[in-house]
Amino acid sequence: MISLPANTLLMCLRWFAVLSAAALAVAATRPHYGGTLRVEVAESIETADPPQIGPGMADLGGAFSVTRWEGGHAAVYSAGESAEGGRPFLDSVEIQMGRALRDQAIDLETGKADLVELGLAEIRRPAPARKIWNTAPVRLIALSFAPRVTDERVREALALSVDRGAIHSVLLQRQGEISGGLLPQWISGYAFLFSTAADPARARSIVSGLPPQARAVTLSFEDPWLRPMAERIALNARDAGLSVSTAGSNPAADVRLLEVRITASDPSVALARTAATLGLAEPPRADSPEALFTAERALLEGFRVVPLFHLPYFYGVSSRVRGGPGITPLGEWRFENLWLEGSRP
Amino acid sequence: MTFRTRLLLILTASVIVSVGLVEWLVLSTTRDAFERVEAQRVDALVAQFRQEFSRRGSDVVRAVQGIARSDALLNIALASDSAPYYNEASGLASANGLDLLEIVAADGAIVSSAEWPARFGYKEDWLAGTAGWQNRGAFLRREELPDGFTLGLAAVAEVRAGDRTLYVTGGQRLDRAFLSSLVLPAGMRVLLYRNLSDGVSAANLTDSSGAVAQPEPFLPVIDEARRNPHEFGREVGSGPAEETFHIIPLQGLQNNLLGVLLVGSSRREMVELEAFLRNIGIILAGAGILVGVALSWWATTRVTRPVHALVASAEKVAAGNWNATVDLASGDEIGQLARAFNRMTQQLLAQRERLVQAERVAAWRELARRLAHELKNPLFPLQITVENMQRAREWAPEQFEEVFREGTETFLAEIAKLKQIIARFSDFAKMPAPEMQPVNLNQLVDETMRLFEPQLQEARIVPRADLDPELPSIPADPEQITWVLRNLVLNAIDAMPQGGSLTIRTAARNGGVRMEVRDTGHGLTAEECERLFTPYYTTKTHGTGLGLAIVQSVVSDHQGHISVESQPGKGTAFRIDLG
Repeated sequence: MISLPANTLLMCLRWFAVLSAAALAVAATRPHYGGTLRVEVAESIETADPPQIGPGMADLGGAFSVTRWEGGHAAVYSAGESAEGGRPFLDSVEIQMGRALRDQAIDLETGKADLVELGLAEIRRPAPARKIWNTAPVRLIALSFAPRVTDERVREALALSVDRGAIHSVLLQRQGEISGGLLPQWISGYAFLFSTAADPARARSIVSGLPPQARAVTLSFEDPWLRPMAERIALNARDAGLSVSTAGSNPAADVRLLEVRITASDPSVALARTAATLGLAEPPRADSPEALFTAERALLEGFRVVPLFHLPYFYGVSSRVRGGPGITPLGEWRFENLWLEGSRP
Repeated sequence: MTFRTRLLLILTASVIVSVGLVEWLVLSTTRDAFERVEAQRVDALVAQFRQEFSRRGSDVVRAVQGIARSDALLNIALASDSAPYYNEASGLASANGLDLLEIVAADGAIVSSAEWPARFGYKEDWLAGTAGWQNRGAFLRREELPDGFTLGLAAVAEVRAGDRTLYVTGGQRLDRAFLSSLVLPAGMRVLLYRNLSDGVSAANLTDSSGAVAQPEPFLPVIDEARRNPHEFGREVGSGPAEETFHIIPLQGLQNNLLGVLLVGSSRREMVELEAFLRNIGIILAGAGILVGVALSWWATTRVTRPVHALVASAEKVAAGNWNATVDLASGDEIGQLARAFNRMTQQLLAQRERLVQAERVAAWRELARRLAHELKNPLFPLQITVENMQRAREWAPEQFEEVFREGTETFLAEIAKLKQIIARFSDFAKMPAPEMQPVNLNQLVDETMRLFEPQLQEARIVPRADLDPELPSIPADPEQITWVLRNLVLNAIDAMPQGGSLTIRTAARNGGVRMEVRDTGHGLTAEECERLFTPYYTTKTHGTGLGLAIVQSVVSDHQGHISVESQPGKGTAFRIDLG
């Protein structure tokens, strides 16, 4: 009988334990089929049929097919067995619409959801059991003046009074980027050329030349999360001598604080779509970055639209979701390569 | 105004003045007492309000200090980046019952603001400076909000974490909600004027229910407090709605006037009580005055009754009833007066008796003197005639017959004179009472003028009658009036020995008639005029002095009046008023 020294036996046991753990880890991270990805979104799509274009649910159309649609409430997409790239690992994707961001974060923390949208306030909240996927900065936050605000001095004064840095540091928690252009830096490459610095002194000087009745401006915001930003802008504008009153969605407002999604990575396409969304004139087709810059600068002359920030979208993802990120830089959903940890067919 | 009326008025006025004075004193004293009590009540209420206000300040201080000691503030102080906490103040303020809360970095930059979240990064320099909030407890502060300014009861606490410092400033808004949350005694209300504009504006005045309904009465008071910040009291309103307000200026850290508190206490109960007492007083005063007037009337009557008796007796005495007396048994001054009056009338009676007696003796003496004088004149010729007749018989009997004849003629003439004298005295003694009947005086004048026409012509006197044709008839005795006329005409003839004119006028006068007999004779002196109607006074050498005395007696018996107007050398006029 072969006798082994005790320390050799102990070493063998250790190696056995390490190898067993490694084998288990390899088995756990390996893609497998099955499971339902539970997704929550704030948007509530009230249409009778599921959306066919645009980022989000429409992106599931290739690998999944909708099996249940409750407009404004919920939708279920099931894996396509004959999908072009092969059957997705997930059996289905279950989407709940109309959930507030705060509720989504709670659902993620309590395990009721696997993938949720995150607001800026939730990003810095410590949550060890989650991952964060984010898009590239594709959300343009801008001020858009109504056509009746014909005095360019009012528009310029308001544009010069906004302290983008303070808003970016505090309200946006330094997420995204300060921008003076319509297109983000990662798409255009020249966004830094547009000035973003506040100039309160010049703003005050401009306002001092305005008649008193022109100094009163109404500012509306499209989404409740924009309220603090609108109030800060009003505060900045007041320092410049303007009297800005803020209100929620108000079609009759002089200027709107709104969010526009960049939906194309091609600069020309993105500029054209963004200009169209903002009601600006269609820019000429540009074949070079210089021409595109010129076109974008022309759109911004007159301060009809004042770009402020470009922000990414943030998604909170459960730690059991593997194979990601399932969100592209433009915010497209790519769930076909995701699988769920612990789920077995 | 009678003595009784005057006395009644004086007593009534005295009663009214006395009752009014007492009423005024009572009301004034009562009002002063009420005012003192009210002032003490207001002071107590104001003290209670101050206590409540101080308690609220202590609550604010405790809340702010509690926040400063919280883990949340410690985390913020320790964090390298305070940006994630920009919205922290809202939750903390809400959890601690504060309206205002700001977390401020050591450099004065706002980390988080509950009342104005967008103000992060703005500076609160007063915190890092020497604003004097240390060891101050709660203080008043003017806070800027998105929609304007507000007034806050604030406190500051300092948070130190290692070498890092944070300030926490929080408080409660002084507004309608604050006022309505104060626990105030009944009848008290608090108004707050927030001194947030340059001038006094009614819009800045609020109470626990919102804007003050009628702010106008308060604006001058607020203006006074703004111009000279000091505590003072003032009554506002009138009647039952009147309130006593204690004005308390609210000053900030730099002693700048931030607001004015008007702590009001209703005077309704006191005003109503005063009104009740005043009404009671008026009723009692009215009753007192009525009783006083009645007593005055009774006293006046009691006092003036003997005076009236005295007056009546005096009037009787004045009317000639010297036997009138006053029957009063009282021992007071009025009784003494009555007894003196009675003594006086008795003395007057006695004196009159003595006077009458004396006059009677004097009259007899005068009569005796006149009789002696009148009788002596005829007797002297008689004596001379008898002596002549005796001497003729003794010494010249041949001439006795002639002397006898002449002597008897003289005897008869003197005896006739004696008869005439006796007849005149008899007439004066026997003047009968007039028998009244309607008499036309013009007719009597005509008859008299016709009777004396020859005599006047002989005396070269021109008669003239100036008679009023509208002369009314008067009640008179025609015989006696005719005798008067004749007597006056005879006097006039005697007064004009060298001739002249005699004018008799009649005229209606004051319901009666006036008759004037005027001559152009030698006239009379003033002394003669005064004595003219005295019996036995005469200016003529042959008169008895009874004619004009009888004339005056007749006129007096007719309830008439006779007067004489004369000057020496300018004639004499006798005027008789009858009817």
